[in-house]
Amino acid sequence: MTSSVVAVWSHRNALRLLVRRDLAVKYQQSVLGYLWSLIEPLAMGLIYWFVFGVLYDTGHHLGEASDSYPLFLITGIFAWMWTNAAISEATNALTGQARLITTMKVPREVFPLGRVIGRFAEYLAGLPILVLLAIIFGEFQLRWSMLALPLAILIQGALLIGIALLLSSLNVLLRDVERFMRLLTRVLFYATPIIYPLALVRDSSMPGWVKTLYDVNPLVGIFQLHHAVWYPAELDLRLTVISAVGSVLTLFFGWWVFRSLEPAVLKEL
Amino acid sequence: MSQPIIEARDLGIRFVRNRRRQLRLREMIIHRGGRQPRGDEFWPLRHVTYDLYPGEAIGVIGRNGTGKSTMLRLIAGVLIPDEGSIKVRGAVAPLLELSAGFSNDLTGRENVHLVGSLHGLTPNELKHKFDEIIAFAGDQVEKAIDTPVRHYSSGMKVRLGFSIISQLAHPILLVDEVLAVGDAEFRKKCYATMERLLAEGRTLVLVSHNESDLTRFCKRGLYLDGGLLKVDGTVTEALGAYNAAARR
Repeated sequence: MTSSVVAVWSHRNALRLLVRRDLAVKYQQSVLGYLWSLIEPLAMGLIYWFVFGVLYDTGHHLGEASDSYPLFLITGIFAWMWTNAAISEATNALTGQARLITTMKVPREVFPLGRVIGRFAEYLAGLPILVLLAIIFGEFQLRWSMLALPLAILIQGALLIGIALLLSSLNVLLRDVERFMRLLTRVLFYATPIIYPLALVRDSSMPGWVKTLYDVNPLVGIFQLHHAVWYPAELDLRLTVISAVGSVLTLFFGWWVFRSLEPAVLKEL
Repeated sequence: MSQPIIEARDLGIRFVRNRRRQLRLREMIIHRGGRQPRGDEFWPLRHVTYDLYPGEAIGVIGRNGTGKSTMLRLIAGVLIPDEGSIKVRGAVAPLLELSAGFSNDLTGRENVHLVGSLHGLTPNELKHKFDEIIAFAGDQVEKAIDTPVRHYSSGMKVRLGFSIISQLAHPILLVDEVLAVGDAEFRKKCYATMERLLAEGRTLVLVSHNESDLTRFCKRGLYLDGGLLKVDGTVTEALGAYNAAARR
Protein backbone atom coordinates (compact mmCIF):
# COMPACT_ATOMS: atom_id res chain seq x y z
CA MET A 1 0.00 0.00 0.00
CA THR A 2 2.83 2.39 0.81
CA SER A 3 4.17 2.06 -2.72
CA SER A 4 0.86 3.10 -4.22
CA VAL A 5 0.59 6.03 -1.82
CA VAL A 6 4.02 7.15 -2.99
CA ALA A 7 3.00 6.64 -6.61
CA VAL A 8 -0.16 8.68 -6.17
CA TRP A 9 1.73 11.41 -4.35
CA SER A 10 4.25 11.70 -7.14
CA HIS A 11 1.35 12.20 -9.55
CA ARG A 12 -0.39 14.80 -7.40
CA ASN A 13 -0.08 17.34 -10.18
CA ALA A 14 -1.94 15.04 -12.54
CA LEU A 15 -4.51 14.49 -9.83
CA ARG A 16 -5.01 18.23 -9.43
CA LEU A 17 -5.52 18.63 -13.17
CA LEU A 18 -7.98 15.74 -13.32
CA VAL A 19 -10.04 17.33 -10.59
CA ARG A 20 -9.94 20.70 -12.31
CA ARG A 21 -10.91 19.10 -15.59
CA ASP A 22 -13.87 17.31 -13.98
CA LEU A 23 -15.10 20.56 -12.46
CA ALA A 24 -14.55 22.47 -15.69
CA VAL A 25 -16.43 19.91 -17.78
CA LYS A 26 -19.23 19.63 -15.25
CA TYR A 27 -20.06 23.31 -15.28
CA GLN A 28 -18.90 24.07 -18.80
CA GLN A 29 -22.24 24.66 -20.43
CA SER A 30 -24.28 25.98 -17.55
CA VAL A 31 -24.83 29.66 -16.89
CA LEU A 32 -24.84 29.38 -13.13
CA GLY A 33 -21.74 27.20 -13.11
CA TYR A 34 -20.35 26.46 -9.69
CA LEU A 35 -23.44 27.92 -8.04
CA TRP A 36 -25.22 24.70 -8.90
CA SER A 37 -23.21 22.88 -6.28
CA LEU A 38 -24.90 25.19 -3.73
CA ILE A 39 -28.33 25.55 -5.26
CA GLU A 40 -28.99 21.83 -5.32
CA PRO A 41 -28.42 21.10 -1.61
CA LEU A 42 -30.15 24.33 -0.60
CA ALA A 43 -33.22 23.41 -2.62
CA MET A 44 -33.19 19.94 -1.12
CA GLY A 45 -32.92 21.51 2.30
CA LEU A 46 -35.92 23.69 1.56
CA ILE A 47 -38.02 20.68 0.59
CA TYR A 48 -37.10 18.70 3.69
CA TRP A 49 -37.62 21.76 5.86
CA PHE A 50 -41.12 22.12 4.47
CA VAL A 51 -42.05 18.47 4.90
CA PHE A 52 -40.29 17.61 8.13
CA GLY A 53 -39.81 21.00 9.72
CA VAL A 54 -43.12 22.66 8.99
CA LEU A 55 -45.48 19.70 8.58
CA TYR A 56 -44.00 17.18 11.01
CA ASP A 57 -42.19 19.55 13.36
CA THR A 58 -39.11 17.31 13.51
CA GLY A 59 -37.14 20.21 14.96
CA HIS A 60 -38.65 19.93 18.42
CA HIS A 61 -36.71 16.69 18.93
CA LEU A 62 -33.59 18.83 18.90
CA GLY A 63 -34.49 20.13 22.34
CA GLU A 64 -33.14 23.57 23.03
CA ALA A 65 -31.97 23.90 19.44
CA SER A 66 -35.41 23.30 18.02
CA ASP A 67 -35.51 26.73 16.36
CA SER A 68 -32.50 26.05 14.21
CA TYR A 69 -33.76 22.97 12.36
CA PRO A 70 -32.88 24.51 8.97
CA LEU A 71 -29.25 24.77 10.08
CA PHE A 72 -29.35 21.16 11.26
CA LEU A 73 -30.75 20.12 7.88
CA ILE A 74 -28.31 22.04 5.73
CA THR A 75 -25.34 20.84 7.77
CA GLY A 76 -26.36 17.27 7.08
CA ILE A 77 -27.36 17.79 3.47
CA PHE A 78 -24.11 19.52 2.50
CA ALA A 79 -22.12 16.64 3.94
CA TRP A 80 -24.51 14.19 2.29
CA MET A 81 -24.08 15.83 -1.14
CA TRP A 82 -20.36 15.15 -0.88
CA THR A 83 -21.02 11.52 0.05
CA ASN A 84 -23.66 10.91 -2.55
CA ALA A 85 -21.94 12.65 -5.46
CA ALA A 86 -18.57 11.10 -4.65
CA ILE A 87 -20.05 7.61 -4.56
CA SER A 88 -22.02 7.95 -7.77
CA GLU A 89 -19.25 9.68 -9.70
CA ALA A 90 -16.49 7.42 -8.42
CA THR A 91 -18.43 4.37 -9.55
CA ASN A 92 -17.82 5.26 -13.19
CA ALA A 93 -14.43 6.87 -12.62
CA LEU A 94 -12.67 4.07 -14.49
CA THR A 95 -15.34 3.12 -17.02
CA GLY A 96 -15.85 6.74 -18.02
CA GLN A 97 -12.19 7.54 -18.48
CA ALA A 98 -11.10 4.33 -20.17
CA ARG A 99 -9.38 6.25 -22.93
CA LEU A 100 -7.03 8.05 -20.57
CA ILE A 101 -6.38 4.95 -18.52
CA THR A 102 -5.51 2.72 -21.45
CA THR A 103 -3.11 5.15 -23.06
CA MET A 104 -0.91 6.29 -20.23
CA LYS A 105 0.85 4.97 -17.22
CA VAL A 106 -0.57 6.77 -14.23
CA PRO A 107 -1.33 5.06 -10.95
CA ARG A 108 -4.93 4.10 -11.63
CA GLU A 109 -5.93 5.08 -8.09
CA VAL A 110 -5.88 8.74 -9.07
CA PHE A 111 -9.10 8.41 -11.07
CA PRO A 112 -11.49 7.42 -8.26
CA LEU A 113 -9.48 9.55 -5.85
CA GLY A 114 -9.95 12.57 -8.09
CA ARG A 115 -13.72 12.17 -7.99
CA VAL A 116 -13.77 12.16 -4.18
CA ILE A 117 -11.54 15.21 -4.04
CA GLY A 118 -13.57 17.05 -6.66
CA ARG A 119 -16.78 16.64 -4.69
CA PHE A 120 -14.92 17.65 -1.56
CA ALA A 121 -13.98 20.92 -3.25
CA GLU A 122 -17.67 21.57 -3.79
CA TYR A 123 -18.36 20.79 -0.16
CA LEU A 124 -15.70 23.30 0.88
CA ALA A 125 -17.33 25.90 -1.35
CA GLY A 126 -20.51 25.48 0.69
CA LEU A 127 -18.90 25.96 4.09
CA PRO A 128 -19.22 29.77 4.12
CA ILE A 129 -22.98 29.35 3.64
CA LEU A 130 -23.07 26.96 6.56
CA VAL A 131 -21.21 29.43 8.77
CA LEU A 132 -23.56 32.18 7.64
CA LEU A 133 -26.60 30.07 8.56
CA ALA A 134 -25.05 29.26 11.94
CA ILE A 135 -24.58 32.95 12.63
CA ILE A 136 -28.15 33.70 11.58
CA PHE A 137 -29.51 30.99 13.87
CA GLY A 138 -27.26 32.08 16.70
CA GLU A 139 -25.43 28.75 16.97
CA PHE A 140 -22.07 30.07 15.88
CA GLN A 141 -19.74 29.94 18.85
CA LEU A 142 -16.01 29.40 18.83
CA ARG A 143 -15.61 26.35 21.02
CA TRP A 144 -13.85 23.03 21.13
CA SER A 145 -16.66 21.18 19.46
CA MET A 146 -15.78 22.94 16.21
CA LEU A 147 -12.83 20.60 15.94
CA ALA A 148 -15.43 17.94 15.16
CA LEU A 149 -15.54 19.34 11.62
CA PRO A 150 -11.96 18.50 10.55
CA LEU A 151 -12.33 15.14 12.29
CA ALA A 152 -15.57 14.46 10.44
CA ILE A 153 -13.97 15.43 7.13
CA LEU A 154 -10.98 13.18 7.80
CA ILE A 155 -13.07 10.12 8.64
CA GLN A 156 -15.50 10.79 5.82
CA GLY A 157 -12.62 11.23 3.37
CA ALA A 158 -11.14 7.87 4.35
CA LEU A 159 -14.51 6.17 4.01
CA LEU A 160 -15.29 7.74 0.65
CA ILE A 161 -11.87 6.93 -0.80
CA GLY A 162 -12.29 3.32 0.29
CA ILE A 163 -15.75 3.12 -1.25
CA ALA A 164 -14.57 4.88 -4.41
CA LEU A 165 -11.70 2.45 -4.95
CA LEU A 166 -13.95 -0.51 -4.31
CA LEU A 167 -16.82 0.57 -6.54
CA SER A 168 -14.82 2.00 -9.42
CA SER A 169 -12.93 -1.24 -9.97
CA LEU A 170 -15.91 -3.48 -9.35
CA ASN A 171 -18.07 -1.50 -11.76
CA VAL A 172 -15.72 -2.27 -14.65
CA LEU A 173 -16.38 -5.98 -14.26
CA LEU A 174 -20.00 -5.81 -13.18
CA ARG A 175 -21.97 -2.90 -14.53
CA ASP A 176 -24.80 -3.74 -12.15
CA VAL A 177 -22.86 -1.94 -9.43
CA GLU A 178 -23.88 1.45 -10.77
CA ARG A 179 -27.60 0.71 -10.60
CA PHE A 180 -27.29 -1.05 -7.29
CA MET A 181 -25.51 1.90 -5.73
CA ARG A 182 -28.22 4.30 -6.81
CA LEU A 183 -30.60 2.26 -4.73
CA LEU A 184 -28.23 1.78 -1.83
CA THR A 185 -27.36 5.46 -1.49
CA ARG A 186 -31.06 6.20 -1.21
CA VAL A 187 -31.33 3.69 1.61
CA LEU A 188 -28.24 5.14 3.27
CA PHE A 189 -29.70 8.62 3.12
CA TYR A 190 -32.54 7.58 5.38
CA ALA A 191 -30.37 5.24 7.46
CA THR A 192 -28.22 8.16 8.55
CA PRO A 193 -29.20 11.01 10.88
CA ILE A 194 -29.25 13.69 8.18
CA ILE A 195 -32.75 15.09 8.19
CA TYR A 196 -33.70 13.77 11.63
CA PRO A 197 -31.79 13.85 14.93
CA LEU A 198 -30.32 10.61 16.24
CA ALA A 199 -32.48 10.91 19.36
CA LEU A 200 -35.51 9.89 17.26
CA VAL A 201 -33.87 6.54 16.51
CA ARG A 202 -32.73 6.10 20.08
CA ASP A 203 -36.24 6.73 21.44
CA SER A 204 -38.00 4.66 18.82
CA SER A 205 -39.55 1.31 19.61
CA MET A 206 -37.29 -0.61 17.23
CA PRO A 207 -35.71 -3.76 18.69
CA GLY A 208 -32.19 -3.42 20.09
CA TRP A 209 -30.48 -5.36 17.32
CA VAL A 210 -31.86 -2.97 14.70
CA LYS A 211 -30.44 -0.05 16.65
CA THR A 212 -27.08 -1.80 16.89
CA LEU A 213 -27.15 -2.45 13.16
CA TYR A 214 -27.98 1.20 12.64
CA ASP A 215 -24.95 2.31 14.67
CA VAL A 216 -22.57 0.13 12.66
CA ASN A 217 -23.12 2.32 9.60
CA PRO A 218 -19.97 4.48 9.69
CA LEU A 219 -21.93 7.39 8.23
CA VAL A 220 -23.91 7.68 11.47
CA GLY A 221 -20.86 8.67 13.51
CA ILE A 222 -19.62 10.95 10.75
CA PHE A 223 -22.89 12.85 10.53
CA GLN A 224 -23.12 13.12 14.30
CA LEU A 225 -19.72 14.79 14.16
CA HIS A 226 -20.96 17.19 11.51
CA HIS A 227 -23.91 18.08 13.69
CA ALA A 228 -21.74 18.32 16.80
CA VAL A 229 -20.01 21.34 15.26
CA TRP A 230 -23.11 23.39 16.12
CA TYR A 231 -24.77 21.08 18.65
CA PRO A 232 -22.07 19.71 21.03
CA ALA A 233 -24.68 17.51 22.70
CA GLU A 234 -24.76 15.35 19.56
CA LEU A 235 -21.15 14.28 20.11
CA ASP A 236 -20.94 10.57 20.89
CA LEU A 237 -17.51 9.09 21.44
CA ARG A 238 -18.64 5.50 20.89
CA LEU A 239 -20.15 6.32 17.48
CA THR A 240 -17.07 8.30 16.52
CA VAL A 241 -14.81 5.36 17.28
CA ILE A 242 -17.10 2.97 15.38
CA SER A 243 -17.12 5.15 12.30
CA ALA A 244 -13.37 5.83 12.43
CA VAL A 245 -12.60 2.11 12.64
CA GLY A 246 -15.20 1.28 10.01
CA SER A 247 -13.88 3.94 7.65
CA VAL A 248 -10.25 2.90 7.96
CA LEU A 249 -11.21 -0.74 7.40
CA THR A 250 -13.22 0.27 4.34
CA LEU A 251 -10.24 2.23 3.06
CA PHE A 252 -7.90 -0.76 3.36
CA PHE A 253 -10.47 -3.14 1.95
CA GLY A 254 -11.21 -0.86 -0.99
CA TRP A 255 -7.51 -0.46 -1.71
CA TRP A 256 -6.95 -4.19 -1.53
CA VAL A 257 -9.85 -4.94 -3.88
CA PHE A 258 -8.64 -2.26 -6.28
CA ARG A 259 -5.14 -3.73 -6.35
CA SER A 260 -6.30 -7.27 -6.87
CA LEU A 261 -8.82 -6.40 -9.58
CA GLU A 262 -6.44 -4.08 -11.41
CA PRO A 263 -5.08 -6.62 -13.98
CA ALA A 264 -8.59 -7.74 -14.89
CA VAL A 265 -9.87 -4.17 -14.97
CA LEU A 266 -7.17 -3.05 -17.39
CA LYS A 267 -7.99 -5.88 -19.79
CA GLU A 268 -11.64 -5.02 -19.69
CA LEU A 269 -11.36 -1.27 -20.34
CA MET B 1 26.77 -4.52 -23.28
CA SER B 2 25.04 -2.51 -20.57
CA GLN B 3 21.98 -3.56 -18.62
CA PRO B 4 18.86 -4.10 -20.75
CA ILE B 5 16.34 -1.28 -20.51
CA ILE B 6 13.42 -3.60 -21.21
CA GLU B 7 13.54 -7.19 -20.04
CA ALA B 8 10.69 -9.52 -20.98
CA ARG B 9 10.76 -13.01 -19.50
CA ASP B 10 8.28 -15.61 -20.65
CA LEU B 11 5.75 -12.83 -20.92
CA GLY B 12 2.13 -13.80 -21.32
CA ILE B 13 -1.31 -12.31 -20.89
CA ARG B 14 -4.63 -14.09 -21.00
CA PHE B 15 -7.92 -12.69 -22.19
CA VAL B 16 -11.31 -14.26 -21.88
CA ARG B 17 -13.64 -14.18 -24.82
CA ASN B 18 -17.29 -13.58 -24.02
CA ARG B 19 -16.52 -12.63 -20.45
CA ARG B 20 -19.86 -10.85 -20.37
CA ARG B 21 -21.68 -14.11 -20.88
CA GLN B 22 -19.52 -15.92 -18.39
CA LEU B 23 -20.42 -13.51 -15.63
CA ARG B 24 -24.16 -14.00 -15.83
CA LEU B 25 -25.52 -14.32 -12.37
CA ARG B 26 -27.22 -17.61 -13.09
CA GLU B 27 -24.00 -19.22 -14.26
CA MET B 28 -22.06 -17.76 -11.38
CA ILE B 29 -24.43 -19.36 -8.93
CA ILE B 30 -24.93 -22.66 -10.72
CA HIS B 31 -21.30 -23.38 -11.58
CA ARG B 32 -19.77 -21.52 -8.66
CA GLY B 33 -16.38 -21.48 -10.33
CA GLY B 34 -16.37 -25.28 -10.30
CA ARG B 35 -16.26 -25.52 -14.06
CA GLN B 36 -13.83 -23.17 -15.70
CA PRO B 37 -14.83 -22.38 -19.26
CA ARG B 38 -11.30 -22.99 -20.52
CA GLY B 39 -12.35 -22.95 -24.14
CA ASP B 40 -13.06 -19.24 -24.00
CA GLU B 41 -9.59 -18.24 -22.93
CA PHE B 42 -6.97 -17.10 -25.35
CA TRP B 43 -3.48 -15.71 -25.08
CA PRO B 44 -2.84 -12.70 -27.29
CA LEU B 45 0.77 -12.98 -26.20
CA ARG B 46 2.63 -15.85 -24.59
CA HIS B 47 6.14 -17.15 -23.92
CA VAL B 48 7.71 -13.96 -25.16
CA THR B 49 11.28 -13.37 -24.02
CA TYR B 50 13.59 -10.63 -25.20
CA ASP B 51 16.01 -8.00 -23.99
CA LEU B 52 16.12 -4.49 -25.30
CA TYR B 53 19.19 -2.35 -24.73
CA PRO B 54 19.35 1.42 -24.37
CA GLY B 55 19.55 3.18 -27.70
CA GLU B 56 18.13 0.30 -29.70
CA ALA B 57 15.37 0.79 -32.20
CA ILE B 58 13.18 -2.21 -32.62
CA GLY B 59 10.37 -2.84 -35.06
CA VAL B 60 7.46 -5.08 -34.14
CA ILE B 61 5.99 -6.83 -37.12
CA GLY B 62 3.04 -9.12 -37.52
CA ARG B 63 -0.39 -9.45 -39.01
CA ASN B 64 -3.39 -7.82 -37.38
CA GLY B 65 -4.38 -9.33 -34.07
CA THR B 66 -1.12 -11.07 -33.32
CA GLY B 67 -0.32 -9.22 -30.12
CA LYS B 68 1.72 -6.24 -31.29
CA SER B 69 -0.34 -3.60 -29.55
CA THR B 70 -0.75 -5.83 -26.52
CA MET B 71 3.02 -5.98 -26.25
CA LEU B 72 3.34 -2.19 -26.37
CA ARG B 73 0.67 -1.88 -23.70
CA LEU B 74 2.56 -4.29 -21.49
CA ILE B 75 5.72 -2.23 -21.91
CA ALA B 76 3.80 0.96 -21.20
CA GLY B 77 2.38 -0.63 -18.05
CA VAL B 78 -1.27 -0.15 -18.98
CA LEU B 79 -1.72 -3.91 -18.94
CA ILE B 80 -0.44 -6.25 -16.24
CA PRO B 81 0.89 -9.66 -17.37
CA ASP B 82 -0.64 -12.93 -16.13
CA GLU B 83 2.51 -14.91 -16.75
CA GLY B 84 6.20 -14.11 -16.67
CA SER B 85 7.47 -10.63 -16.09
CA ILE B 86 8.46 -7.47 -17.83
CA LYS B 87 10.99 -5.13 -16.33
CA VAL B 88 11.21 -1.62 -17.71
CA ARG B 89 14.09 0.49 -16.43
CA GLY B 90 13.11 4.01 -17.24
CA ALA B 91 10.09 6.13 -18.00
CA VAL B 92 8.06 5.39 -21.10
CA ALA B 93 6.65 7.88 -23.57
CA PRO B 94 3.81 6.00 -25.24
CA LEU B 95 1.80 6.97 -28.28
CA LEU B 96 -0.60 4.06 -28.31
CA GLU B 97 -3.77 5.39 -29.77
CA LEU B 98 -4.79 7.87 -32.39
CA SER B 99 -6.70 9.89 -29.83
CA ALA B 100 -3.64 10.02 -27.54
CA GLY B 101 -5.98 10.03 -24.56
CA PHE B 102 -7.51 13.42 -25.31
CA SER B 103 -10.86 14.26 -23.74
CA ASN B 104 -13.29 15.45 -26.36
CA ASP B 105 -14.90 18.05 -24.12
CA LEU B 106 -11.70 19.93 -23.42
CA THR B 107 -9.92 22.38 -25.66
CA GLY B 108 -6.59 21.56 -27.23
CA ARG B 109 -4.84 23.75 -24.69
CA GLU B 110 -6.48 22.03 -21.71
CA ASN B 111 -5.73 18.64 -23.21
CA VAL B 112 -2.07 19.46 -23.68
CA HIS B 113 -1.88 20.37 -20.01
CA LEU B 114 -3.81 17.34 -18.82
CA VAL B 115 -2.16 14.75 -21.04
CA GLY B 116 1.26 16.34 -20.63
CA SER B 117 1.12 16.25 -16.88
CA LEU B 118 -0.31 12.73 -16.86
CA HIS B 119 2.79 11.80 -18.85
CA GLY B 120 4.93 13.36 -16.15
CA LEU B 121 5.69 16.88 -17.37
CA THR B 122 5.90 19.38 -14.53
CA PRO B 123 3.86 22.60 -14.75
CA ASN B 124 7.05 24.51 -15.34
CA GLU B 125 8.20 22.30 -18.19
CA LEU B 126 4.75 22.53 -19.70
CA LYS B 127 4.86 26.29 -19.61
CA HIS B 128 8.24 26.32 -21.33
CA LYS B 129 7.40 23.74 -23.93
CA PHE B 130 3.83 24.70 -24.68
CA ASP B 131 4.63 26.98 -27.61
CA GLU B 132 6.99 24.42 -29.05
CA ILE B 133 4.37 21.70 -28.80
CA ILE B 134 1.79 23.83 -30.58
CA ALA B 135 4.23 25.00 -33.23
CA PHE B 136 5.23 21.44 -33.97
CA ALA B 137 1.62 20.37 -34.35
CA GLY B 138 1.17 22.89 -37.18
CA ASP B 139 -0.92 25.94 -38.11
CA GLN B 140 -4.21 24.12 -38.20
CA VAL B 141 -3.89 22.99 -34.60
CA GLU B 142 -2.49 26.33 -33.52
CA LYS B 143 -5.61 28.10 -34.78
CA ALA B 144 -7.91 25.59 -33.11
CA ILE B 145 -6.05 25.37 -29.82
CA ASP B 146 -8.94 26.89 -27.86
CA THR B 147 -11.69 24.83 -29.44
CA PRO B 148 -12.75 21.48 -28.02
CA VAL B 149 -10.85 18.51 -29.36
CA ARG B 150 -14.03 16.86 -30.60
CA HIS B 151 -13.90 19.27 -33.54
CA TYR B 152 -10.39 18.17 -34.48
CA SER B 153 -9.72 15.89 -37.41
CA SER B 154 -7.94 12.64 -36.59
CA GLY B 155 -4.84 14.01 -38.30
CA MET B 156 -4.86 17.05 -36.01
CA LYS B 157 -5.17 14.86 -32.93
CA VAL B 158 -2.26 12.71 -33.99
CA ARG B 159 -0.16 15.80 -34.65
CA LEU B 160 -0.86 17.19 -31.23
CA GLY B 161 -0.42 13.82 -29.57
CA PHE B 162 2.89 13.19 -31.25
CA SER B 163 4.21 16.62 -30.46
CA ILE B 164 3.46 16.16 -26.75
CA ILE B 165 5.16 12.77 -26.72
CA SER B 166 8.19 14.10 -28.54
CA GLN B 167 8.67 16.72 -25.84
CA LEU B 168 8.95 14.14 -23.09
CA ALA B 169 12.44 13.44 -21.82
CA HIS B 170 11.61 9.77 -21.21
CA PRO B 171 14.23 7.29 -22.43
CA ILE B 172 11.78 4.86 -24.03
CA LEU B 173 9.51 5.78 -26.92
CA LEU B 174 6.61 3.58 -28.01
CA VAL B 175 4.88 4.34 -31.28
CA ASP B 176 1.94 2.32 -32.50
CA GLU B 177 1.07 2.77 -36.17
CA VAL B 178 0.11 6.36 -35.73
CA LEU B 179 2.46 7.77 -38.32
CA ALA B 180 0.27 6.40 -41.09
CA VAL B 181 -2.39 9.02 -40.41
CA GLY B 182 -0.42 12.24 -40.81
CA ASP B 183 0.04 13.91 -44.18
CA ALA B 184 3.34 13.91 -46.05
CA GLU B 185 4.52 17.16 -44.51
CA PHE B 186 3.86 15.99 -40.97
CA ARG B 187 5.45 12.62 -41.60
CA LYS B 188 8.59 14.38 -42.67
CA LYS B 189 8.58 16.30 -39.39
CA CYS B 190 7.98 13.09 -37.46
CA TYR B 191 10.84 11.34 -39.19
CA ALA B 192 13.19 14.19 -38.36
CA THR B 193 12.05 14.16 -34.73
CA MET B 194 12.39 10.44 -34.37
CA GLU B 195 15.83 10.52 -35.89
CA ARG B 196 16.82 13.28 -33.48
CA LEU B 197 15.46 11.33 -30.51
CA LEU B 198 17.29 8.20 -31.62
CA ALA B 199 20.49 10.19 -32.03
CA GLU B 200 20.05 11.33 -28.42
CA GLY B 201 20.22 7.68 -27.42
CA ARG B 202 16.52 7.01 -26.80
CA THR B 203 15.11 3.56 -27.19
CA LEU B 204 12.35 3.12 -29.74
CA VAL B 205 9.73 0.42 -30.12
CA LEU B 206 7.84 0.90 -33.34
CA VAL B 207 4.79 -1.02 -34.50
CA SER B 208 4.15 -0.59 -38.17
CA HIS B 209 3.06 -2.27 -41.36
CA ASN B 210 5.11 0.12 -43.41
CA GLU B 211 8.31 -1.56 -44.54
CA SER B 212 10.16 1.61 -45.37
CA ASP B 213 9.38 3.13 -41.95
CA LEU B 214 10.64 0.01 -40.27
CA THR B 215 13.87 -0.28 -42.22
CA ARG B 216 14.45 3.44 -41.89
CA PHE B 217 14.54 3.47 -38.08
CA CYS B 218 14.99 -0.05 -36.85
CA LYS B 219 17.94 -2.39 -36.98
CA ARG B 220 16.26 -5.09 -35.00
CA GLY B 221 12.89 -6.66 -35.67
CA LEU B 222 10.52 -8.86 -33.76
CA TYR B 223 8.08 -10.92 -35.76
CA LEU B 224 4.99 -12.01 -33.86
CA ASP B 225 2.58 -14.64 -35.03
CA GLY B 226 -0.35 -16.01 -33.07
CA GLY B 227 0.92 -14.37 -29.90
CA LEU B 228 4.29 -16.08 -30.11
CA LEU B 229 7.62 -14.45 -30.83
CA LYS B 230 8.68 -16.21 -34.03
CA VAL B 231 11.69 -14.16 -35.10
CA ASP B 232 14.00 -11.99 -33.02
CA GLY B 233 16.68 -10.80 -35.39
CA THR B 234 17.45 -8.03 -37.80
CA VAL B 235 14.54 -6.08 -39.20
CA THR B 236 15.16 -7.64 -42.61
CA GLU B 237 14.86 -11.13 -41.18
CA ALA B 238 11.65 -10.24 -39.37
CA LEU B 239 10.17 -8.64 -42.47
CA GLY B 240 11.23 -11.67 -44.48
CA ALA B 241 9.36 -13.99 -42.16
CA TYR B 242 6.34 -11.70 -42.23
CA ASN B 243 6.28 -11.55 -45.99
CA ALA B 244 6.78 -15.28 -46.29
CA ALA B 245 3.81 -15.84 -44.01
CA ALA B 246 1.70 -13.34 -45.90
CA ARG B 247 2.36 -15.13 -49.19
CA ARG B 248 1.17 -18.42 -47.82
